[in-house]
Amino acid sequence: MRRSSLAEPPAGAKRFAPATVEALCEVLARANAEQIPLEIAGANTLGGMGSPARASTIVTTLALNALIAHEDADLTCAMQSGITLSAFDKTLAQHRQFVPLDAPLRTKATIGGTVASGWLSPRRHLYGRARDLIIGTEIALVNGTLAHAGGMVVKNVTGYDMSKLYAGSFGTLGVLTRVNFKTLPLPRARRALLAKLPENTRARAAAQLTALSVIPAATIFVEGFRKNIEGADGIDGRTFVLLEGSEALLERGTREIRTALGRAGVPETTIFDMGCGAMLERIADACVASLGQRSITYRSLGLADSAMERATRLRDAANRQRLFTDLLFDANNGDVFVRLSDRDSRGFAAKIEQCHDELRAIDPRLTIVAGEAPIRAALDPWGEPPPAISYMRKLKAQFDRHNILNPGRFIVG
Amino acid sequence: MSELIARLKDALGADAVKAEREDLAVYAFDAYSQGRLPSAVVLPASTRDVSAAVKIARACGEPIVARGAGTGLCGGAIPAAGGVVFSFARMNRVLELDARNRRARVQPGLINLELTNAALPVGLFYAPDPSSQKVSTIGGNIGTNAGGPHCLSYGTTVNHVLGLEIVDESGEVVTTSLDDPGYDLTGALVGSEGTLAIVCSAWLRLMRVPEAVRVWLAAFPDFESASAAVSAIIGAGIVPTALEMLDRVMLEAVEAAFHAGYPTDCAAVLLVESAGVEEDIAAYESEIRRIVHEHGALAWRAAASQAERDALWAGRKGALGATGRIAPNYYIQDVVVPRTKLPHALRAVGEACAQHHIPVGNVFHAGDGNLHPLLLYDRREQQQVAAVIEAGNEILHAAVELGGAISGEHGIGYEKRGTLSRVFTADDLATMAGVREVFNASRSLNPEKIFPAGIRCAEVR
Repeated sequence: MRRSSLAEPPAGAKRFAPATVEALCEVLARANAEQIPLEIAGANTLGGMGSPARASTIVTTLALNALIAHEDADLTCAMQSGITLSAFDKTLAQHRQFVPLDAPLRTKATIGGTVASGWLSPRRHLYGRARDLIIGTEIALVNGTLAHAGGMVVKNVTGYDMSKLYAGSFGTLGVLTRVNFKTLPLPRARRALLAKLPENTRARAAAQLTALSVIPAATIFVEGFRKNIEGADGIDGRTFVLLEGSEALLERGTREIRTALGRAGVPETTIFDMGCGAMLERIADACVASLGQRSITYRSLGLADSAMERATRLRDAANRQRLFTDLLFDANNGDVFVRLSDRDSRGFAAKIEQCHDELRAIDPRLTIVAGEAPIRAALDPWGEPPPAISYMRKLKAQFDRHNILNPGRFIVG
Repeated sequence: MSELIARLKDALGADAVKAEREDLAVYAFDAYSQGRLPSAVVLPASTRDVSAAVKIARACGEPIVARGAGTGLCGGAIPAAGGVVFSFARMNRVLELDARNRRARVQPGLINLELTNAALPVGLFYAPDPSSQKVSTIGGNIGTNAGGPHCLSYGTTVNHVLGLEIVDESGEVVTTSLDDPGYDLTGALVGSEGTLAIVCSAWLRLMRVPEAVRVWLAAFPDFESASAAVSAIIGAGIVPTALEMLDRVMLEAVEAAFHAGYPTDCAAVLLVESAGVEEDIAAYESEIRRIVHEHGALAWRAAASQAERDALWAGRKGALGATGRIAPNYYIQDVVVPRTKLPHALRAVGEACAQHHIPVGNVFHAGDGNLHPLLLYDRREQQQVAAVIEAGNEILHAAVELGGAISGEHGIGYEKRGTLSRVFTADDLATMAGVREVFNASRSLNPEKIFPAGIRCAEVR
């Protein structure tokens, strides 16, 4: 890297947390002019996702954390990107509203990081993806200019929907400084149902739970993750079903779920009317819970009806390599998370490379979502490039010709 | 026969290429206006045909304009610079219906409503329902990111597109999927009005048919109280599946045409639909009813049967056509404002039209803040045409001043491209032009659309 004022900031630390959008733009423009690569981050709570950052100079949006507007009667809001998910949720909850982002480590995770990472909520089949709830963005481009897209209205086809490109772009097209959302009314009530799930009941339970007349807000099957998610299940798995809506809907949903699980041979279902949000948070946290240098977590996306089969195949392949597995999958959206681990880092390192290839044979698009940087660097965390990769690379070059923003971090290189 | 026509016929077959002047004239129009006469019209039967025709058109230096049913209201499908029009009338099938995963793969020429008709037997439906859904196509809906009354709770087209198969400007076939790692190209392509690629098939999300649906009417003495009721309903945390408003002008036109059951002795009517589980609907009804009465509703009525509901929706969706009884022509504006600004926006519409002596009717998606004033005029009267254009511009300006946008669901197309810079700065527009540069560097895909003349991609350096 060239020596420069930016690479060696006065404080000696190569970490910038601009307090204003203007200051951020200045940092970007200088880095671009001097061709200094930057790591773009929020709180880095999803820092274990994808390829490790290569840049040694970090720009974080943590200090850009203001609420810009909450037009509660319009069900819209605008936030600076560095605000944490918990602060965001709290602000909206004052007016009985919410935006279901459901990313891990919500007291630290930022809106910008959550959006830029394209984190997928297990409630999205009901409420939409984060990108579906974004109505506008402001982004600081690498040359230090600001560009806006969308606005503060809930329906808008004025020009290209640039926010769709920024969501999930891992900061490689620019730095999100502001995100506008349409908000949703908070459900009037919520209830969680937990049940132990012996493996021989799982397939029937999954089929039954996706055929209810009341669609649950989340239907998660868990195996392992015992330190992260409640439920001492021995060798059995367990299921977490979240209902959201009116009291009447909850009552009907509860009846249906109990009947469905009973039909599947599940012995007992426990109901929780308190602490449902905390349970959902623990599931989100488990998705990226790392055991240091002796674990790695993969995510497989796909059709809902193939989730259990993918989960089982991934687990069995890992077990054949004598790696431990913790597993969870989302019966509504088809996401599978599988954490592979060993007793120590040396044993893990010896097994993971071969196992990685076997897992990729099951799902070529398998993505690493949590793991230490050296392990991820050796494993090609993004998987097989998608068919439109050449367009993605051209877009990257169009927005960031010198590859200043998060180089090497994303699938575009 | 020109080289273009000969090569197209050779590649696609003679019956898939139209080159006679009277045929071409049909494709010079959409529901907004007339463009230039195209050089040829092709009717591909497959993605391979589309790819071949794109390569030929490019080799002959011809612009390429993808066209659905031509129902667009802002000139998005007119061949503004001539060229080859691609009609998808032959690519109109449901290719796959995957009921278990609630999705379908369809061709772009499929008529919107036909997808729902195909999915209903397995208890599913396709949610985006533009008023033109009996004729408009999925491809056109994807191009404009079409909305419709029910997108209030279900979202617009982009929320229902899971993946695309496209042909790019060089004729190559590329697929995108929401599950792919990388940039969300699917999201960027939806709503790009054929300026980035040609959609050849799409995976679409289907939704479960709700077990209960209710439709109610609330009549109001003025639009201010009706607008305030809209804000109060949304503000109370109730998001109905649809929340539409019709003013007296439109109520009279609709009743004369359809006898749909709307009252005509009030200034405005709210058409409210809720769907979901039976237990919730009853609770919503009493709450919405209380709110509208608190805001001065003159009357409240529930549609008593499926037939009554269908009649009310037929009237609402046929409202534009119904204006034929009261004026020879209409010009429909499409602007969107924050929901709480509806009374201000409606007042601005009234003032602009009064100042230019243009009668106006309003029928619109009140729950979304998406206005559709219909300016009624006679195209043969030059003065009226000029007045309509002036009033339309003033309405656009008012929407922007109120914090809104210049199109909620119809698109920018040819009509509004000159006004895009009212909403966006040069830097904002340069990012969009950068995307166009990546996909459509040759500018051969639907030229003279969306972007104001002279906007260039300022490569970010």
